[in-house]
Amino acid sequence: MMRHIQVGILVLILGFAIPAMGQTKSAGDLAGGVDWKALDHKWLDSERTGDLDYLEKFFADSYVLVRADGQSYTKKEWLGILRGPDRPTLLTLDPEDIQVHVFGNVAILTDHTTIKGHDSKGKSMDGEYNVFRVVIKQNGIWRATGVVMNPDLTKK
Amino acid sequence: MKRAYGLSVAILLIVSSGGVALGQAPKKTAAEQEDVAGTVAILDHVWLDAAHNHDGETAAWLFADNFVEIHPGGFLVSKQQQVDMISNTQLGDLAIQSTDIQVRYASPDVAVLTDKTTIRGKQGETSYDGQYRVMRVFAKQHGRWRAAGAGIARITAAP
Repeated sequence: MMRHIQVGILVLILGFAIPAMGQTKSAGDLAGGVDWKALDHKWLDSERTGDLDYLEKFFADSYVLVRADGQSYTKKEWLGILRGPDRPTLLTLDPEDIQVHVFGNVAILTDHTTIKGHDSKGKSMDGEYNVFRVVIKQNGIWRATGVVMNPDLTKK
Repeated sequence: MKRAYGLSVAILLIVSSGGVALGQAPKKTAAEQEDVAGTVAILDHVWLDAAHNHDGETAAWLFADNFVEIHPGGFLVSKQQQVDMISNTQLGDLAIQSTDIQVRYASPDVAVLTDKTTIRGKQGETSYDGQYRVMRVFAKQHGRWRAAGAGIARITAAP
């Protein structure tokens, strides 16, 4: 009888532990207790509105952005652009179809982001992108550490 | 003597793994950080060699179950799709070389690196000739480093 109870407890523990190690969810779900959709929207809203105080805290020191042309920027470089005279004007920065893949202390978010706006010289930045985002858990807080953007050619 | 030494090493490995598994995480040292960086830099090459050699078995061993990759053009693929592509010898051979490997973040269970990957060749009608900026993510699961995902962007910007 005791042995059956022990086996039952073990099955329950494994049943919870294994999905927690590797979860793929649409971001409306609270995988790992995090509202990933809200996190993604807050991130992009802050870039659009220029909430640099939030981004300074949200970006890990290891943050690196790879734009769709393959050019990469560190946290310091990217925040420097957003703070400086060459900052882009972003009218729309809207992530949709947010999916999350959680691996313990790192999560990969994929989304389809629509950008409308222009750079500091007035050149259009309008486009549709499929984006790979990486967030890490540091001292209990999820922070952005990487982004790779790709033009969405999947519908062409 | 050799046998006793081997046994000691095995016991030491088991005991140290057990400590980590039980959540008794040892203090992070600079040496451990370097080990993570070194390990994932090697896995970066294992990953590319598997892709070059159509070695789906190694890719399946390396990729975590919910692995995800975004290819140039925004095509999103799962572990199974990526392993199938790697295994498919009909798709043609690609010469793949990575340089400028930079470990951007390393902790006892997570590593994120970027590299510059040069690809030459065609698969089907698609030419992959060019240079790409790649971000690769690794996570330690059940004591083993697995590839969690990658994002790849073609480099079109002037250097």
